[in-house]
Amino acid sequence: MPLRIVNVKVNGVDQAFMAKPDTTLLLALREQLGLMGAKRGCAQGACGSCTVLLDGAPVVSCLVPAATIDGAAVATVEGLADGQELNDVQQAFVDGFATQCGFCTPGMIMSAEALLARNPDPTADEVNEAISGNVCRCTGYAPIVSAILEAARRRRDRAGTAEQEATR
Amino acid sequence: MLTEVHVPDDVSAAVRLIAGGATAIGGGTSVLPWLNDYASPPTELVSLRRTGLAGIRVDGQTVELGAATTLAQVEHDERLADLNAVVRSIASTPVRTLATVGGNLFARQPHGDLAVALVALDARVTLVDDTGSRELSVEELGDQPSGLVTTVTFERPQPGTFKYVKAARRRYNSASLVTVAATVTESDGIVTGARVALGGVGPRVIRAHAVEAALVGQPLTVETVRAAGEAGRGEIEPADDAYASAWYRTRVFPVHLRRALLGR
Repeated sequence: MPLRIVNVKVNGVDQAFMAKPDTTLLLALREQLGLMGAKRGCAQGACGSCTVLLDGAPVVSCLVPAATIDGAAVATVEGLADGQELNDVQQAFVDGFATQCGFCTPGMIMSAEALLARNPDPTADEVNEAISGNVCRCTGYAPIVSAILEAARRRRDRAGTAEQEATR
Repeated sequence: MLTEVHVPDDVSAAVRLIAGGATAIGGGTSVLPWLNDYASPPTELVSLRRTGLAGIRVDGQTVELGAATTLAQVEHDERLADLNAVVRSIASTPVRTLATVGGNLFARQPHGDLAVALVALDARVTLVDDTGSRELSVEELGDQPSGLVTTVTFERPQPGTFKYVKAARRRYNSASLVTVAATVTESDGIVTGARVALGGVGPRVIRAHAVEAALVGQPLTVETVRAAGEAGRGEIEPADDAYASAWYRTRVFPVHLRRALLGR
């Protein structure tokens, strides 16, 4: 069974790993690069717990053969915090008690990041649509939606403040 | 068991590998779930990721979608307003980033809603094998053609003539109970042309000839659409699955036909 060297930029850092034909992006992240944030839930693309960003767009990493993404950029939940300081979405999840068991949380957060990158001021319904591929079996969707809306608000406020300071 | 994943740089290399027995994947969102869960015979995959088959070209009224164009690309292309809503009814954002137009043509029912829309739009595909290329309609394509679909082409419908409704158990990210896609043209209040395709109600996308025949020459009224729905019950072949029973699909099919064609 042929092994292949796959080069990827993960959270801004160049990485290389050996992939077997059946190595998925999820498996490579967890077992070869030691990034345990993305979870293996259904391995069917249905639960979203393995969601990461591939070249900036959200994907279910359990369905991506690693051999197909040589040269790509991958962003995972581990890359969001700045040292010990959580980013807006992570902090809003903590503040709003939007995690219960936590299994779905990394996927939820990456779907939220993808949404906010495209749409900084989403409605609750747009948030619902954006996380419709992420299953929370604790069923705590309401605080998750609130946390994403709150993160969006904080991010807009900060952008507004920065703009004011820049024009002062 | 997955024995090799080829990532060829061009179409001819991909076609050679497919002729040699390898399975083409666009985003892999239909094939990988199977390989992740079940013991399979030794399987080689051909990824279309680097073949240059992703892209949307609009030339006048003609739209050409490369087979490896992702559903997300279609979703966000303002030139394809009719298809934006179709694609948003399919799966979830992190699946649409991967899933492709070509792949959707072979999604097993009750999935494959884009294919339903493309049959209603009378779309054609280019199919390339190791002997050359040929053009055929999406409707004629079948489940397992020999070769590789490289492009999907259709004429943009006149504004207001394309209709689409997908009924599902949830608002987002759920397979079809009944999908109706149609292009209907009218003149002086009378239907002059109708092309109706159905998903979720058979083992494949169904071209609803009896529904079309019941519409053409009639005014587009509740009565006409009710008669068309009755006629259509004879050509659907719904199945029981985790989403709905065959009985339920048969029962609600005329309702969703009416909602698609009349908007109410």
